[in-house]
Amino acid sequence: MKKILLFSFIVLVLGSCGKKNSLPNGNVVISGAGATFPYPFYNIVFRNYMKQNQGTAVNYGAIGSGGGIRSLRDRSVDFGASDAFLSEKELESMQAEVIHIATCMGGVVMAYKLSGVDSLRLNGDLIADIFMGNITRWNDARISQENPNINLPDLEITSVYRSDGSGTTFNFSEYLCSVSDEWNRDMGKGKALKWSAGIAAKGNPGVAGIVQQTEGAIGYIGSEYALTLKLPMAKLKNKAGNYVAATLETISSAANINLPDDMRITLTNSADPNAYPISVLTWILVYKDQQYGNRTEKDAQDLIDLLAYMLTPEGQRVAAQINFAPLSEQALMKTRKLISEIHYSGKVLSSHKLDEASLTTDSLTIN
Amino acid sequence: MKDKLFKLLLFVASASVLLLTAGIVYALIGGASQAFGEYGFWEFITNSEWDPRSATEEYGALSFIVGTLFTAFFALLICLLFSLPVALFNGEYFKGTKISSVVGSIVDLLAGIPSIVYGLWGFYMLRPLTIELGINSQGFGIFTASIVLAIMIIPYASSLSSEFLSMVPNNLKEGAYSLGATRIEVIQHVSLPVAGSGIVAAYILALGRALGETMAVTMLIGNTNNIPKGLADTGNTMASIIANQFGEADGIKLSSLIAIGLLLFIITAIINFVAKLIMKHMSRA
Amino acid sequence: MTGRKQTSISYRNSKNKLVYILVCTLSFLSMLPLFFILWEVVSRGYKNFNLQLFTEVAPSSMDAMLAHANNEPIPGGILNGITGSILIVGVAILLTIPLGLLIGIYLSENSQKRFAKLVSYLTDLLQGMPSIVIGIIAYAWVVKPFGGYSALAGSVALTIMMLPMVVRSTEETLKMLPRSYKEAGLALGSSYINVVFKILIPSGFGGIFTGILLSISRVMGETAPLMLTALGATIVNWNVMQPTSAMPLLIWDFYNDPNLVDLIWSTSLLLLIIIFLLNWLAKIVARKWKI
Repeated sequence: MKKILLFSFIVLVLGSCGKKNSLPNGNVVISGAGATFPYPFYNIVFRNYMKQNQGTAVNYGAIGSGGGIRSLRDRSVDFGASDAFLSEKELESMQAEVIHIATCMGGVVMAYKLSGVDSLRLNGDLIADIFMGNITRWNDARISQENPNINLPDLEITSVYRSDGSGTTFNFSEYLCSVSDEWNRDMGKGKALKWSAGIAAKGNPGVAGIVQQTEGAIGYIGSEYALTLKLPMAKLKNKAGNYVAATLETISSAANINLPDDMRITLTNSADPNAYPISVLTWILVYKDQQYGNRTEKDAQDLIDLLAYMLTPEGQRVAAQINFAPLSEQALMKTRKLISEIHYSGKVLSSHKLDEASLTTDSLTIN
Repeated sequence: MKDKLFKLLLFVASASVLLLTAGIVYALIGGASQAFGEYGFWEFITNSEWDPRSATEEYGALSFIVGTLFTAFFALLICLLFSLPVALFNGEYFKGTKISSVVGSIVDLLAGIPSIVYGLWGFYMLRPLTIELGINSQGFGIFTASIVLAIMIIPYASSLSSEFLSMVPNNLKEGAYSLGATRIEVIQHVSLPVAGSGIVAAYILALGRALGETMAVTMLIGNTNNIPKGLADTGNTMASIIANQFGEADGIKLSSLIAIGLLLFIITAIINFVAKLIMKHMSRA
Repeated sequence: MTGRKQTSISYRNSKNKLVYILVCTLSFLSMLPLFFILWEVVSRGYKNFNLQLFTEVAPSSMDAMLAHANNEPIPGGILNGITGSILIVGVAILLTIPLGLLIGIYLSENSQKRFAKLVSYLTDLLQGMPSIVIGIIAYAWVVKPFGGYSALAGSVALTIMMLPMVVRSTEETLKMLPRSYKEAGLALGSSYINVVFKILIPSGFGGIFTGILLSISRVMGETAPLMLTALGATIVNWNVMQPTSAMPLLIWDFYNDPNLVDLIWSTSLLLLIIIFLLNWLAKIVARKWKI
């Protein structure tokens, strides 16, 4: 607490060179930066918010999770956005308490191209061995074992991975680390890996493009992208032993487990029986105490309104429309509680949007 | 007075080329120093590891050096098969005729097509063909990249070679003809030996082009960070690894990429120097 | 000679003929890729080659994806790429021409000096430099110090590529002019500066202008250095300090995104048309203003 006070003091002193939150005509600008994965969702949900709240502008720069965390730490944005929650060490480096506001969910799907095969079942071990180059042909006995009624061709497997650093690669590798010891030992997890098999392509679209164009290819792609493109994708065996296709429902189901109060959790390989195994949360990061820099109480209030709006059924429906999975009931509840804890130098701020959200959650439908 | 100032201006402008070159070398060495400092120059170029994982981060250039040389030399070999006939066509058989100028300008137009359009063409037309031929299952790799690369350097190799061939003195050739030599014998024993080193220089310059070519190769080589084991294998060249990873690189990785850029710069500089040396020698002889 | 068979007239004649046929066939084959490429680009590109291409900015992946999902044609054009190419190449031309002309004049006038030989050698060195390395240089010189990707950084990269060509064509054109031009001018009491700008440059205009046109056509399609410098933008940008798109950068974006692939060929078609027009213009200029 002492640290925070000291910091607020320093920031107040330096306040004169801080950014301006208000435009001359009284309009408000809320600025954020970070993850690229939720960018399409944020793009549309912010646009909707701006339509309903004339005079408020929301600026979001999709510069990557790392950049978002750095920008928040530098206090150059009002909120950061990240696909990975902050580690204890990172939390400490922020110099004030940061809270994680989950906004939506996504998954990583295994898209493939095999003429005549419209249903394919895989498990984590198989995926790991395919991407490590241990399984090289589609008619491998171990794949056939998972797909007893399917005639798999005698064709080489072309695995496709990301040539650029990516949160998708991180989530994919994190899942494989949790299910395959060999992967954990040889490949590890990260935004970029050292691959020994397959070919590389740039971005989700690049991977999707090559998978679509190459007979016998399999690649990992962000669900929001793959679902919209309607690519053929494999059903994965989850922790409970069920084969689950990636849909918004199965991805949301991954959060139907006991969530921690601070919402810092990885949901890959979730124990929920309906869960799609490679499901993830994405977060917006804000300071719990909004009084820093030259922020006014109104700035803080506007930010909270925006965050609350994203959790309303309306906001979550926007997510579903463009194939981001909405938060589960429990995740919504915990996140709303976190928002209500945001304060302005001790003064509790609340948002009518928050009440709106909690009243009508049952009306949330996924289409 | 005005003239003196103008002459000074000319001199200063020319001196800026020196400055430019110095700035280039400085920027490259400055950027690469972290990588060379961390790994050592020799270790960096003989290490084939490219591991971006933060826990075991380590970078070496060998895979890309091999990938670059492999694609460039294979491309040169294919290029030779086509550009030498074009050079003979324009510089010997149909020297100075209308048809030679048509063939010459059509082949020259190949040089005008941007690298990225070659890449598209390779991706949509050549790649399915590669799969069809059974070279490999996905159509990317050294083979596909080299074919496109070869087409791209044909105009460079052929136009310069045909120029050297057409410079072969007529009286030499006529001497051989008068002794009863056939055309091919004249080419074999007179034209090629006389124009030989110039043609070699033309191919060295074409090789320089092939080594530094970026976009088309990036789109076709498969972008895997390994030493390619054969024509069907995928890989990365020095140019393509930079194109792929520069955008998001940071710290030691960024420095390693700049170091690869520096190596590429040195290799192409040497190649151009050698070619120029040969051509200078030619013009003196 | 190694044997009777190889020296026989019929063997020599048929060998002669065979090589002749081979040379003709392979030369013919060498021309085919051009037509294949043109066919591919034209046949696939003309469909989307419409007014919208010139009036609207490139669509986002999301917009295109939604349009695809509804079976609509994808919205947008490549306006931001066209304006970006104009901006980046335009600034590069402004930077290149004065410098290139001055250096070219210096080299043609002082070709025997050691300094000129050094400059000349370094110009060759620059000409052979791979474009991706030039991208790194412009990144280090402009992007890093100014703290962001910009059209200017792209222009600097293209300038480094154009400069050697303009220098060479200026130098060679001026060298071809008869010495008498210059001597007559000086004898008539003209100042050196006047001789250069009133006699030499106008006389060599064709060659110099051809060189400039060819250098523009060469950098028009450059992609790799712009990826590292101008980065790309979704809006029309005329500020040289801001990230900017360009036609080749858009082709690269479209290539990497299956949703946008419909635009890839029309953009390539436009780029090829511009490049071939520049080449054609260069040829006409060279013929018309022949020394």
